Amino acid sequence: MLSSHPRDPARWPRLLTLLLCLALLAPSFSLTQFNPATLANPDSWRTMAGFVAGFFPMALQADFLRDVARETITTLASATAGIALAMLLGAPLAFATSHALQRHVLGGERPARLACWLASGLRGLMVILRGIPEIVWALLLVRAVGLGSLPAVLAIGLAYGGMLAKVYAEILESQTPGLASALYLQGASRWQCLLYGLWPQALPELLSYSVYRWECAIRASAVMGFVGAGGVGQLLDTSLKMLNGGEVSTLLLVFLLLVSLSEGVSQLSRLALGRVATTRMLPLMGLLAVAASVLWLWPGWRDSGFDSSAIVRFARDFFPPASDMLADIAHGVVETLAMSGLGSVLAFMAGAVLAMPAAGRFGWAAKWLSRLLLNVLRGVPDLLWAAMAVLAVGLGPAAGVLALALHTTGVLGRLFAETLENADPEPELALQQVGAGRLLAFAYGQLPTVCSQWLAYTLYRWENNIRSATVLGIVGAGGLGQQLYLALSLFQQHRAASLIIAMLLLSWAVEQLSRYCRQRMG
Amino acid sequence: MKTLKLTLATALLALSALASAEEAVLKVSAIPDEAPTELQRKFAPLGQYLEKELGMKVQFVPVTDYAAVVTALNSDKIDMAWLGGFTFVQASLHGKVVPLVQREEDSKFTAKFIVNAATGAKSLQDLKGKSFAFGSASSTSGHLMPRYFLQKEGIKPETFFKNVAYSGAHDATVAWVASGKVDAGALNASVWEKLVQSGKVDGSKVKLLATTPPFYDYNWTVRGNLDKKLQARITSAFLKLDPKNPQDKAILDLQRASRFIPTKADNYKGIEAAAEAAGLLK
Repeated sequence: MLSSHPRDPARWPRLLTLLLCLALLAPSFSLTQFNPATLANPDSWRTMAGFVAGFFPMALQADFLRDVARETITTLASATAGIALAMLLGAPLAFATSHALQRHVLGGERPARLACWLASGLRGLMVILRGIPEIVWALLLVRAVGLGSLPAVLAIGLAYGGMLAKVYAEILESQTPGLASALYLQGASRWQCLLYGLWPQALPELLSYSVYRWECAIRASAVMGFVGAGGVGQLLDTSLKMLNGGEVSTLLLVFLLLVSLSEGVSQLSRLALGRVATTRMLPLMGLLAVAASVLWLWPGWRDSGFDSSAIVRFARDFFPPASDMLADIAHGVVETLAMSGLGSVLAFMAGAVLAMPAAGRFGWAAKWLSRLLLNVLRGVPDLLWAAMAVLAVGLGPAAGVLALALHTTGVLGRLFAETLENADPEPELALQQVGAGRLLAFAYGQLPTVCSQWLAYTLYRWENNIRSATVLGIVGAGGLGQQLYLALSLFQQHRAASLIIAMLLLSWAVEQLSRYCRQRMG
Repeated sequence: MKTLKLTLATALLALSALASAEEAVLKVSAIPDEAPTELQRKFAPLGQYLEKELGMKVQFVPVTDYAAVVTALNSDKIDMAWLGGFTFVQASLHGKVVPLVQREEDSKFTAKFIVNAATGAKSLQDLKGKSFAFGSASSTSGHLMPRYFLQKEGIKPETFFKNVAYSGAHDATVAWVASGKVDAGALNASVWEKLVQSGKVDGSKVKLLATTPPFYDYNWTVRGNLDKKLQARITSAFLKLDPKNPQDKAILDLQRASRFIPTKADNYKGIEAAAEAAGLLK
């Protein structure tokens, strides 16, 4: 029967949809000057090949390795101290703003107006803290408090503080409220409600999320050197600028090891959360790690000297924001959106292709190789890809597209492969048994079952990529970030202020839109 | 909670006690117009010489960002810095700073326009629609003066070139042009000559296209509230460096200076005017 339909019967509508999507993307290609032909251009391949050939031999001189070791520890220490600061900032904010601890929720009283205003004000603060990407915080703080690890720690503390506050508050809200409510009605204070009613049940989740954030902080801290905030990123920035391939390859390897190490530690400690004894151990080990980090970083901080009046003076220069740069901002925003959109679509396609072998459809060797590739793609942050992509496609937004596409391919490929592995194999097998080819069986038996999940993942990554795209310009890959970096270099603080506000609004708008969409879909 | 706070407070106290045990140190930095490792190599003998002359410890603070050096000098985090003409103007607009000395060469400094040989460009006008790299946005000879010069030639970089990029440092600009990462670029004449002399530029890949008219560039500047006597001693230490003395000559050679001469803020009025005209002082 099927042999009379050797071709895909729905090929025309499908092809049309695909072409329509590509037509919609066409403006993005011109906006980002992303020309796939550049990738096929022998010249840029020769440049890339020359650069990659320079990777070998890896730089292994003793004094370079000593620098690498020192900066790697600094990266780890900055991330750890930064997370500690973020928790110190996030926990009280969460306590003050979580609906789970509002008097009217606990006791059914009428909400006090002042308390409501206070909570909304604090929530606004949280939006600002997490709306400004950590690398932008670092860029600003480097100017305000000087170079070194201190701005990195503060940047992680502020940006992640806002994030932790939001998630902590949500975690508290998701617990069963009965116990806290009962305590409150018995006359317990809100502190007591938190400590006895919510804390014990929420603790594993709170810790688990904090550990996950620590893992993210290590990735963030590793790239902060690109704006002068110390760590391996700073070495990498110099080596990349000088096109010193041997040093770049050593640093990249260290970088990937650092990322996988932190992932391993994070997974282990989350596993350990299941048991009571280890749950108690974890905060203690955390405290030790924080103390060690601060001790390691202290000499650098002492030398740089912390001057709070300088920060105030620095902040005052930003007001009032420049009002004559709407056109520049609009251009930056459009470029940012185009970069993220195109990057995500390319990643969707590449991720789907790589997910097939990664899900084990072509034997174990292909599976192992494609997983390794996906892990490398994912392990290198987009900012770092951007710094390298400028070599392949030149400076400008095209490098941003490539960077986002590479990193997102790693993320999506892994998620897609997991979806494939978890999907029901029977429809596809059934089609194969009645004589459909492998491709057709996949297209009709498997694809429909995973497609919506894949799309959901891609949309979620796109949301992330919009935020990433705003900062890629810091390493020369277009968008709002490039304008911000330039404005700050030229001491045009008023312009910088307008650009930061634009970033905040963009990030806030995306968050609102995504929440609205999820509510509609849910 | 209480014990935690107590431990933290004790730890902080102990740490600040460590911090107060300091001696007089002259903190020196430099705008990162070349790779940080190169800057440190260049400064080491000069730092030792200053330590001997001033009788105090001299510490070099490596910095990877031009604007951060300006901010550090303005907020008294460093005492002395090697600034470019433009960064000096920025620093004097944001606070009180005193220029002490400059190299003799700095009173007639130039910038070079270079191009990747494969583009076949013979003049600046041939660069229309090509990509172009300045050094750091805050650089005098890597950005401000080349931009000002282009402007006088009727070229507005943002519309004339396909792409305008900032490589961050002079030697990076050369590496970028040589690799074809950008088609052309502008940099400091002194770094260009050093790279040509040491054979680090492949003459078949990178060609010299044009040279700007001369202008005042680099100087050694101190923060305005640094002890006046110390300022005078630093100045005389620099001026005493004698090219006929082999030891001094080695220091001067690393700074690519024939000798140091006194300088004054007025020398940089021209740079300020150029920055104003190029719209970089908004």
